[in-house]
Amino acid sequence: MRIVVCAKQVLDPDAVNNYALAGRLVIGEDGKTLTQTTIPQLMNAYDEQALEAALRLRDAGADCRIAVVSAGTDPTTLLRHAAALGADEIAAISLPSSGQDYHVIAALLAAYIRSSGGADLVLCGRQASDDDQGVVPALIGEALGMPVVTVARSVERAGSSDRPAVRVTRVTPDGDEIVEAACPALVTISNELGEPRYPTAARKLAARRMKPTIVSPDELSLRPEDLEPRALLTRQYVPTVQGHCEFVPGNTPAELADRLVGLLREDKLLQ
Amino acid sequence: MTSAAVVVCTWRGVRGEIPEETEAALTLGRKVSSALGADLHWLVVGTAPEADAEIAARQGVAALERIEDAKLAGGQADAFVEAMAQYCAQRSPRLLLFNQTFDTRLVAARLAGRLGSGAVMNGVDVEAEAGGRLRVTAAAYGGDTRVVYELAGEKSCIVALLANAVVPQPVEGAASSPTRSDVAVDLSGVEERIRVLEPARAEGLRLEDAEIIVAGGRGLSSPENYKLVEQLAEALGGMAGASRPLVDDGWVDSSRQVGLTGKITRPGLYIAAGISGASQHMAGCAAAKTIAAINTDPDAAIFRYARYGIVGDCLEILPELIRAAKQGR
Repeated sequence: MRIVVCAKQVLDPDAVNNYALAGRLVIGEDGKTLTQTTIPQLMNAYDEQALEAALRLRDAGADCRIAVVSAGTDPTTLLRHAAALGADEIAAISLPSSGQDYHVIAALLAAYIRSSGGADLVLCGRQASDDDQGVVPALIGEALGMPVVTVARSVERAGSSDRPAVRVTRVTPDGDEIVEAACPALVTISNELGEPRYPTAARKLAARRMKPTIVSPDELSLRPEDLEPRALLTRQYVPTVQGHCEFVPGNTPAELADRLVGLLREDKLLQ
Repeated sequence: MTSAAVVVCTWRGVRGEIPEETEAALTLGRKVSSALGADLHWLVVGTAPEADAEIAARQGVAALERIEDAKLAGGQADAFVEAMAQYCAQRSPRLLLFNQTFDTRLVAARLAGRLGSGAVMNGVDVEAEAGGRLRVTAAAYGGDTRVVYELAGEKSCIVALLANAVVPQPVEGAASSPTRSDVAVDLSGVEERIRVLEPARAEGLRLEDAEIIVAGGRGLSSPENYKLVEQLAEALGGMAGASRPLVDDGWVDSSRQVGLTGKITRPGLYIAAGISGASQHMAGCAAAKTIAAINTDPDAAIFRYARYGIVGDCLEILPELIRAAKQGR
């Protein structure tokens, strides 16, 4: 079976968060991009977990080839990391000059999957940690006519060799749900899958020799409307929060606790 | 009215809590429709809340529409996407507004793919410009930033609205008298491709409905200390929640996670113990009426959201809070 994992390069969300917590997150002059050049670029963690889900299927005995594809400006580092983790194929789709949004990205990824031999299973992260949209997997699923199973904590093989299927445990607000879908299917992976593995030093070295296939949008026989952005990011800003915290005075934990409970009872928030 | 309508779409899970969030979407829908000079429609797919006519009238809805089909009863995605695609083919709405839930996050995005239209999730506001162009403000970077998307084209745009982003407000002046109609769709060709083997067992109590939540974060230092959070929650008659790191590290089950990728709650009182106040977490609790926070760092972001703050070690404060809560009840 062929598994295609779609991966996005993002700014390290923990670093972004630390800047935000310190009140030092700055938007650049274009009004859209974060300017902190010291924030490293990483593979979106949910996508890394999607690759981990593919590797676990292989560990469990699935006879599969794993391809990792990324559409972005310079995904070489990301793809090398994917190769070091165990990807058999890596591909980089360059972005069209006409601008892009996630509809264009999804069209590019879907067209790549179709033209590179198809996929029995497409795995994506549940969302990217930068825009948090989570729309691209659904759009790819629609473009390829695949059922889309979201927010998985585990993916297992099911069905038979001539009618392969996947059994997926989804993390729903009401608890875990187990579903099955025939392949080809698209599954999005959530952080509940657990820690992804680390590449070994030997695999890191070997991955350096692996060259990504570079795909240009022109090679993907897309219709002009596929390359038309529909949701253009025009502005980004840091929301302000008006603080109005009343710090509870007191010298001992007992005193602080009694005062807080007293205040909350006065406000009728506690009985 | 000549412009294509703004449609608020309600689907599935019409439980007690839905009308409140639906009203938020209707309030936002009303703002956009009046800016566009369009009608506001409310489309209910499947079971309608009992008070639908009342809600529609006080929210200034012009048309209350209903799609009912046995295939929509299971709450599965394929039938819903097909039904909505047929609805859009018949009525060409300008904007479809959903309350963002676990389910609508998928079906709204799939519908965008089906229709070829622009879609934005995590929406907190929608504005219509003079030319009819729509601008959607959404949360990004787990809530650390807001991004504004401009939706191009004349096709039906799709926006999923985050819970607690808009305060529901009834229409000013006289209530509307909405027309009622049933929308016919043909779902005979739909066969769900995803088979549910084991449904989620809905818990008795949901964090989303809790009036008091005590949540713990990294400041608890080790998994066994989470019991302090549970004990305080119990002493206060509330529920225990957690920030994402605790779920990621396997201290607590993901059903306890409060935040953008977890539960979005709106309790009367939210006590945050050892939580830094990252936006990702605050997206799940910022709508609490009162937040009380305990953190060793007086500059922690959580204090920007809190009404009351205690600067101190939650491992020392929590046992005393449990004692104080049990006293004088």
